[in-house]
Amino acid sequence: MKNLVKYLIVFIVLITFGCSDVIDLKSESNISVENFYANYTDLQVGLTSCYKGMQAPLSEEWSMTELRSDNTVENSGTSTSTVKHDLTYLDQFYPPTTHQGVYNYWLKTYNNIRNTNIVLNASGANYNESNGAIEYTPVTIPVTLAQCKGIAAEASFIRAYHYFNLVRLFGGVFLIHEPITPEQAKQINRTSVTAIYKLIEADLKNAITNGISSSYSGNSSDLGHSNKWAAEALLAKVYLTLNRKAEASVLLQDVINNSGYSLQSTYGNVFSVNNEMNSEILFAIRFKGGGLGMGNPLPNNFAPVNSGNAIINGDGDGYNSPALEIIKTSSSYTNYIDPSAARFATNISSFTKGNAATTYFVNKYMSPTIIAYDAESDWPVLRYADVLLMKAEADGNVTSSLGYINQVRVRAGLAALTSINVSTTANFEKALASERRWEFAFENQRWFDIMRFTTTMTSVSPATDQFPNLKIQGAEYVMKKHLNNMWTKLYSGFTVLPIQLNQLLSNANPDRFLLPIPQYEIDTNSFITIQQNPSY
Amino acid sequence: MKKTFLLVLLIFTSIINSQTDKLKITGKVTDSQGKGIPGVTVTFESSNTSTDLDGTYSISVKNSKSILRFTSIGYAPQIVVVGKNKTIDITLMESKTELDDVVVIGYGTQKKSNVTGSISKYTNDKLDDAPVSRIDQALQGKIAGVQIQNISSEAGADTKITIRGISSINAGADPLVVVDGQPIPDGLASINMADVASVEVLKDAASAAIYGSRGASGVILITTKSGKADKAKFSFKVTTGVKMDYKRYNLLSTSEYTQLLFKEQAIRNTDPAVQAEGVSNPNALNMYYQGSGTKINNLIAAYIIEQTMLGGKGYNYQDEVLRTANYRNIQLSATGGTKSMKYFVSGGYQTDEGIMLKSNFDKLNFRTKLDLDLSKRVKLSVNLNPSFQSKDSPSENLTNFWRYPSWLPAYHNNLTAAFVNQIPQWGAIQAGDFAQPRHFLGLNYFPTYPDGSQLLMPDGNPYWLIGGAQTNTIIGGNPFNSSQNNPMSSLLMHDINAKSYGLQSGATLTVNLLPGLDFKTMNTFYLKYDTKNNWSDKNADADGMLSKGVYSYNSYIDLLSENTLNYKKEFDNHSLDIVAGYTVQKTKTETSQTTGLGYPSNDINTLNNALYIDKSGTYGYKNQIGLMSYLGRVNYAFKNKYLVSASYRADGSSYFGPGRKWGSFPAASVGWAAKKESFLSKVDWLSKLTFRTSYGVSGNNRILNYGFQNLLYSANYTFGPGNGSQTSGQAQTSTITSNSDITWESTYQTNFGLDFSILKNRVNLTVDVYRSLTDKLLLQQAQMAFSGVPLAWNNIGSLYNKGFEIELSSTNVKTNSFKWTTSANLSHTENKIRELGNEAYLLNYGERNEIYKSVVGGPLIQYFGYKTNGIWTSQAEINASGLTSNLPSALRPGGLKLVDVNGDGVLDTNDRTIIGNPYPDFTWGLTNTFTYKALDFSFTWQGVQGGKLINGDANYSETRSRNVSYNSNRWLSPQNPGDGKTPYEDIGFNWMLTDYVVEDASYFSLRDISFGYKLPEKFAKQIGLSSLRLYTTAQNVYFHFASGYRGINPEGRATSGPYSSALIGGYQRGSFPMVKAFAFGVDINF
Repeated sequence: MKNLVKYLIVFIVLITFGCSDVIDLKSESNISVENFYANYTDLQVGLTSCYKGMQAPLSEEWSMTELRSDNTVENSGTSTSTVKHDLTYLDQFYPPTTHQGVYNYWLKTYNNIRNTNIVLNASGANYNESNGAIEYTPVTIPVTLAQCKGIAAEASFIRAYHYFNLVRLFGGVFLIHEPITPEQAKQINRTSVTAIYKLIEADLKNAITNGISSSYSGNSSDLGHSNKWAAEALLAKVYLTLNRKAEASVLLQDVINNSGYSLQSTYGNVFSVNNEMNSEILFAIRFKGGGLGMGNPLPNNFAPVNSGNAIINGDGDGYNSPALEIIKTSSSYTNYIDPSAARFATNISSFTKGNAATTYFVNKYMSPTIIAYDAESDWPVLRYADVLLMKAEADGNVTSSLGYINQVRVRAGLAALTSINVSTTANFEKALASERRWEFAFENQRWFDIMRFTTTMTSVSPATDQFPNLKIQGAEYVMKKHLNNMWTKLYSGFTVLPIQLNQLLSNANPDRFLLPIPQYEIDTNSFITIQQNPSY
Repeated sequence: MKKTFLLVLLIFTSIINSQTDKLKITGKVTDSQGKGIPGVTVTFESSNTSTDLDGTYSISVKNSKSILRFTSIGYAPQIVVVGKNKTIDITLMESKTELDDVVVIGYGTQKKSNVTGSISKYTNDKLDDAPVSRIDQALQGKIAGVQIQNISSEAGADTKITIRGISSINAGADPLVVVDGQPIPDGLASINMADVASVEVLKDAASAAIYGSRGASGVILITTKSGKADKAKFSFKVTTGVKMDYKRYNLLSTSEYTQLLFKEQAIRNTDPAVQAEGVSNPNALNMYYQGSGTKINNLIAAYIIEQTMLGGKGYNYQDEVLRTANYRNIQLSATGGTKSMKYFVSGGYQTDEGIMLKSNFDKLNFRTKLDLDLSKRVKLSVNLNPSFQSKDSPSENLTNFWRYPSWLPAYHNNLTAAFVNQIPQWGAIQAGDFAQPRHFLGLNYFPTYPDGSQLLMPDGNPYWLIGGAQTNTIIGGNPFNSSQNNPMSSLLMHDINAKSYGLQSGATLTVNLLPGLDFKTMNTFYLKYDTKNNWSDKNADADGMLSKGVYSYNSYIDLLSENTLNYKKEFDNHSLDIVAGYTVQKTKTETSQTTGLGYPSNDINTLNNALYIDKSGTYGYKNQIGLMSYLGRVNYAFKNKYLVSASYRADGSSYFGPGRKWGSFPAASVGWAAKKESFLSKVDWLSKLTFRTSYGVSGNNRILNYGFQNLLYSANYTFGPGNGSQTSGQAQTSTITSNSDITWESTYQTNFGLDFSILKNRVNLTVDVYRSLTDKLLLQQAQMAFSGVPLAWNNIGSLYNKGFEIELSSTNVKTNSFKWTTSANLSHTENKIRELGNEAYLLNYGERNEIYKSVVGGPLIQYFGYKTNGIWTSQAEINASGLTSNLPSALRPGGLKLVDVNGDGVLDTNDRTIIGNPYPDFTWGLTNTFTYKALDFSFTWQGVQGGKLINGDANYSETRSRNVSYNSNRWLSPQNPGDGKTPYEDIGFNWMLTDYVVEDASYFSLRDISFGYKLPEKFAKQIGLSSLRLYTTAQNVYFHFASGYRGINPEGRATSGPYSSALIGGYQRGSFPMVKAFAFGVDINF
């Protein structure tokens, strides 16, 4: 009996002191979000991750924009790789609604919108849907209102950047401007294009008012952060897209007069990894090579297949190949070729192996790397040259506009245009459009430019004799012409995904210029019906 | 002094006693062969003794009317009235049924006849005859209700075990594995088959509820062998054998494929409709016709290589990478002991080659099990099981081999080397070097090559006459423009080796506090330390790659303390067994990985030689998991006739957030042994009739760690001048959103069982019927992608499972020299979603965008896609149908004809419908065993009936073009539509989204055959052995596929990466072929 008592005591002691901390555990490797935002440093750490989040969508962005434009093509017509097939679908305007790349781009973009919403929420910045303004409410953590506004301004810029891309690629998307629960998400349907632009405008105005306003300095530790000038330039582009040229002009004038940004002396300098965040870069998505997990994968994506270490360490994937039209050797397309040899050489290069046909590739971002898919090169989003050309676009065919165009031309080593060259609106618009195409080749601008010109520069792509029966103009004309050219030279030889010319041309219609809302989104919601874009 | 006095007193009194009214009985207990049995318990009233090593005993009894009782595990008990003799020799009969009569249950054992839950027991001392490396593979088809699927045939790969269907959607659905009372985190992987004495499976919730939060998917209890009080016995067993693939794909070589295309074109040319289309209609077919398309030229370049440089016969990658592999298993054990100290010591070494190159699995196990009686009341049991495993994995999936074109040999021969030497860059290549696609780019391909032979095209025409094109050279042909190395070279340039060091150890102290009342404390320590080196040579996958070494380490330490009080009491007609306990378990894991790049040589691959460390492949994580529980159970039997059992467990788990940590799991069951009623006791033919019913709740807590809170992960960025400086960022990059409210998933299960035996137990039948409801499903629910994260944890919905299991065993023939027994099992399970919270359905996307739909009222998942009805044979047929579609390539002659399910004249996403599900109707197993004198022979059939799979092979264009199962009888032109069902390889709608790739997954197989011969004992004795048995076994000698199945392994499944969810299932992607094996072994005991 004594023993019994003894053992029972041991047993009871074990139970009682059986440490309830056994099941009360905290992660040792990660901080939980709920406990994270406690001071200004934490807000900065959160904001940093929003910049990091801008990198991910770039892996697909070129295939949503440059590839679908007349600048680049998917040229492996005999490849059996699923990835290449997906690229062909985009290039030829028939992506299925379940397209993996479209879904990835969508998800990565919204993932970073979520990050910005969390940071904005933590800084007390709320979007008021009715009056279209960012409003501040006091927060419980020990930070000043000015600090909150500074953080929020940058997060706003990033959020606006994402929505601007989404609205142009998908139309009226889902408007998410605060952290939401999974249940709430299932009650939200697509909104109008107007409502998305309203948020973009509010965000960019917030970024202009509260952003870093000091002028450009090459040794500032703020380089890489968005500032007032980047926000003004981006808002100007938004206004141009909405055909509100006067408002754009005012903002651009401010950047030209007061920002301190300027053109680099040579075109090649702008993209050199030894000259990052130079005076021409208003905003870039930054990368850092050297095995830090922060490198740029795109140079390897764009380098030619089977080039070994000749172009970049670790071989290339051969994505985003320049279309025949803009390659110097194809003489039948002289009108499309960049007259600036210096600019051409920076943008496009070629690679030849054995007797195989020469491959042309996007050379702009090639830089020495140690590890594959880990390049140093930043991705330019807003350049001073863009500011100048946007200003010309906003102001139209006036003398000062010619001056802005000529600044860019002369820097590229070309002769300045005279007023005779731009004697008509059509000539002016053509000169400006061409300049933009060459200057921003492979910077994911061309697709949006083509779309924008359809409403803002109607003379640039008229219905001509090429497709007399179709009476089309604008983007549809540009793209059909491009596809027609490429069919003869390229697509007709596709054997794995063969396509007929009439099918190809009918694919390129304005409905298909919008991407499909990912089928995943439509399928996941069993409560409300989500409208797919027309023709999908 | 006091002690001495007591001792003297004791001796004195005993002498007095013996002199007065006590009899001293001595004797010897022997077995049927006359050999003394040690350790037999001899009982007289409350006193007992046990026999010595030679079987002798002595005991004092009251008088000649006293009753002695002899009991020993494994022998039928015997009762003897003392009578006149003072020497009583007893022969105990061995009793198989007696051994089987005890089953292991959670936290204890129970008489089988008193079991009220649903528990299957499997014992087979020849389990380790089978040439397989894992016990689960040996158990396939042996236990009703337990479906074991070899989803990969790679050496040492995990199987998928499902007990009674799927009870959980997203939480881990693997059964809990408990070895000698100790829950093992990595399941059955490290168990040494030779050490296993019995396997018990707790199938119903009432039996599993005692394991609380981890019991919902069933529990597998492994009991390892223990020592017996006996002289030391040694056992030595060697099995050695070979393994090979059961079936390979039937593929066309480049030459055969080219010839097929020409033959097809000749047929096509007879169709006026094709000629009418003319050359202006550039579809794939016309490419072949014109002979000017890229594909034909590249293919002809490849054809030229194969014909002129490889002797017309291509390199068969599939045949080269598969091999006849060796299997060897060596087991040595020693067992024995005394009354107070028993031991079992074993060592095993197993080496198991995979049938694919670079796949190897070695396993080394030691086990020491000691059972010590420290005193009359205190027993100590120590279990120590260190193990070591080493596994080499191939870097390339077999898919990459059968997909590869045959014209490109893995190694250059003299002709190909000379050919590619034309390009200066490849000038140094010699015969024997790896041949890569890039070597053959941009070369000129002539019909006369290099040995001077003139090449004719497959149609017999000179090369330059194809399709009328007047060319005789392909300038700068690109037979295969890929930068990737051929798969054989990649395979050989990678080394992937994982080593695992494990220690399962435990000490159990049992203290008898009062008669019948024991206090038991089991404290165990489980350690697993894994290291993995993943090495790639320079240029291992493609030109320009740095050599790379990825080193990862993973440690897993699990501490468990289980403390229970057991009370057993039998009085009059009552028997009572009570357990109450408290357990606490803590697990710590640590993972780290370092990636180093750029080594000076392929021979030096330690990190100190690396030029660079890659941060993106370098990390470290720590984690902890805790579980604490209170448990209790009462088993009560009245006259062994009316049986009642009730249990309760409360679990607290660190997986859940504050306020959600605790869950409770009650269970109860009753049984009625009807045969023991007086009205049945006289029915001679009936030996057993027991009815059982149970109800219980078991749970599931297996989710990701910290699913109740969103965690931040490193998301660094660079700011500042120049190339910028790194700045810390933290973001929620997890692909699943947390849910602070998530808690236990609970399974409520009702079970009805019947045990029925007739003809003196010659035929035994067990039937179990069950129905379960899993509630508050721990669900990785798809959420709107615009939330930024595609999944969210949720606790919604409920799922029904119902089914039955039948186990039948019979002794068909039993004579002195011949015995034939049969055991069979059959189980059926079906599931149905009862509700999904407020959702009507869930859709989940798989690897190829194939969709798995979970809809309320339907089975857990169903394939969701387009129905097809043959193919479109002509444009006229399409036009006549009046259908329109925006789906890519939906309306093409030669492509799949989708069905307009909703009849609106438009083929679109609204026409998607249910096209099958993965759940089988029945799984079954049938084993026959024959023994004739010294010979034994047995074979097992095992099968799965019903259920569909999605055959992912069809996703590959190589399969569609060159696999005979996919290109026979295909459409060629409107007048030559083939069988009207087989689409042309690259025409029309995506096959993967249709029922065209949904195939019957039924199969049955002659899983194993074994044949043994046991040397007669007298011969064995002559050579100094107690027994010697020779045996030979074979696995999967015959495998029957369902008709319509086009793959090579109906068991194969892929559930890797983001697609490893119970909501995505039944997808098969180029798995290993099935393995056929033959082995020979010898089993020696001395």
